[in-house]
Amino acid sequence: MNAPDPSISLNLNPSRQSKVFGFVGRNWALLFLLFMMIIFSFLGKNFFGLKNFTIIVLGVTSLLLLASGETFVIISGGIDLSIGFIMGFVCVSSAIIMRDLHAAGYSQTVSIMAGSFIGLLLGLIPGLINGVLIAKLRVPPFIATLGMWGIANGLAWRLCEGFPIAFLPPRVRELGMAYIAYFSTKKGFSLFQKPVLTERSDILSLVKIIPLPVLLITIILLIFAFILSRTKFGQHTYSIGGSVDASIRAGINVPMHLIKVYVISSFFASCAGVLLVFKLDMGVHTQYTSSYELFAIAAVVIGGASLMGGQGSILGTVIGVLLIGTLNNGLMMMGLPIFYRYIAVGCILIIAVLIDQFFPELVHRE
Amino acid sequence: MKKIIIILLSLFLLMSFAFSANAKSLKFAFMPGIADPFYFTMEKGAKAKAKELGVQLIVGEFPKAWGPEYQVPILKALVARGDIDLLFTAPTSTEALIPVLKEIHDSGIPVITVDTYIGDGDYSKPSKYSFPLSYIGTDNFLGGQTVAGALAIMLKGKGKVFLENTNPDTSSVINREKGFRAGLKIFPDMELVGVEYCLDVQETAAAQVSAALQKHPDLAAVFGVNVFSAQGAYQAVARSGLQGAVKIATWDATQTLIQALKKGEVDLILAQMPAEMGALCVEWGVKYLKEGAKIPRKVIPGFFIFTKDNVNDPEAQQYIYK
Repeated sequence: MNAPDPSISLNLNPSRQSKVFGFVGRNWALLFLLFMMIIFSFLGKNFFGLKNFTIIVLGVTSLLLLASGETFVIISGGIDLSIGFIMGFVCVSSAIIMRDLHAAGYSQTVSIMAGSFIGLLLGLIPGLINGVLIAKLRVPPFIATLGMWGIANGLAWRLCEGFPIAFLPPRVRELGMAYIAYFSTKKGFSLFQKPVLTERSDILSLVKIIPLPVLLITIILLIFAFILSRTKFGQHTYSIGGSVDASIRAGINVPMHLIKVYVISSFFASCAGVLLVFKLDMGVHTQYTSSYELFAIAAVVIGGASLMGGQGSILGTVIGVLLIGTLNNGLMMMGLPIFYRYIAVGCILIIAVLIDQFFPELVHRE
Repeated sequence: MKKIIIILLSLFLLMSFAFSANAKSLKFAFMPGIADPFYFTMEKGAKAKAKELGVQLIVGEFPKAWGPEYQVPILKALVARGDIDLLFTAPTSTEALIPVLKEIHDSGIPVITVDTYIGDGDYSKPSKYSFPLSYIGTDNFLGGQTVAGALAIMLKGKGKVFLENTNPDTSSVINREKGFRAGLKIFPDMELVGVEYCLDVQETAAAQVSAALQKHPDLAAVFGVNVFSAQGAYQAVARSGLQGAVKIATWDATQTLIQALKKGEVDLILAQMPAEMGALCVEWGVKYLKEGAKIPRKVIPGFFIFTKDNVNDPEAQQYIYK
């Protein structure tokens, strides 16, 4: 595969041709996503529409956050396997705090705020430990975070004994299920206030615009996309992933920076954990079978990052996550059994890496 | 002085022998599968029956997680005390527990398996795993059929239903699915429109049921085979605004699910009878050891169906797992 692409070398106007190829190569995930949406719209019943797109996005909210945190780590040349279980640990911890405070007579607002805030703080600790182990004590990221994978899982298990933490303040569910706006043919347009409808056909035709959790995630992602692409911190992250030696020579405090990167990853996982409490109205530990961390890594790679470090973006990761979510949802709508969906996601992942391997001159600028 | 001590000691020894021979009550051991309300309830049922029949019941430590790697060491320590007359246990693997239980059986301790079994659970035919006295536990297939029937009654025999399962490689939930499918066949106007597996991940269950509701807006009911799939199903139904209109059936009367039933989040719960299972183990064990009675190779206690109409009845409370 070392021979140059003939389509480029033989063309009279190479720059234009390679630009097209380059565009396709760089954005294949986005184009594939659009292509899939067209196919599913024709093949799957009730696939195309705001309602189902909301279902797709809601289905991958946890993965969106986890994969975005993982993006930072992967760009810096590392890997974080602990995020899925940090999410479960935070989810269980903050649900327990909310439940117990509420049961002890504190107001719903206080219980929910305390639960969310303490949950977020607790979730930073594993990231800090990961970072110190990796950056200061030279433990390989795979091993350090695999250790944390077990520790976070064990703690979550110990806290909930394998059962969902229920009986949370009622406001938790209201917030988790809220949308920004509603439109119904009978009651018209309303902000935040869900219209009361009784007929099944009215309920089904109610248009619900952007779930509150999705708005929140969008804000978080925009902030971190800005940090990654427009700030010195972001530049240093790419530079460390490109070459640690060069970064040290350029005067970057690499260990300190890496610690921050793992704390960011952990922060995303704890956001996902707190959000999961609202989404499910419960605290649940992460099941071994869920493989959140692996799907997150898959999404990051599909989104154009390299496991070698130095490449990747939040937008790419978002597309990667949406691709996995859409593939799952669309194939489900077509009635394809779960087993084939696993195969499909597996194939897409391998294709992503193959494109990266064989056409680097198309995928990456320069 | 020495002599007196020796005489005293031997007296003590004699007395303790005489004492133990005199009050030779039966000693049963119970080895649960995992620390959860289901087995706690089983322990309570067994303890009550043991007290009634004058049996001494020794309960092994409840394993923190499911699997032979957690259960076997505790089980081995439990029988190592050497004075046990009968063991009843919930094997956490159909294969891995065969040699372990066989060894216990060969050392002279009869074994009953409760709730779960070894091999394929059929001890009536001779095989390498047919040595246990009996399997006392739920028939998941029958339970699945029962849920299908109860849902059909609730829906007046008509409607589209969806099955949210957990793991395609676990015999208990797959048998629930098979039974559910078989049960629905009896009702010509009931249609199973889909089956999904959430691998016990509640978030996945919610996404899958959401998609099913999107595909079939006229869906009438969902059967979630355990707490994670049922709660996920409820999240999806509530998000679509159809709570109450789409019925949710589930399995196991844990406190969480009973609370959900009272709040109208689920509509039907099939309760197994763990307390009954524990009591039956003790009862049949005593009959076998004292009267030489022949135990049926399979004993299946019934089910109890909770709906919002009977959940507050005094006589229903005993079936809630505590």
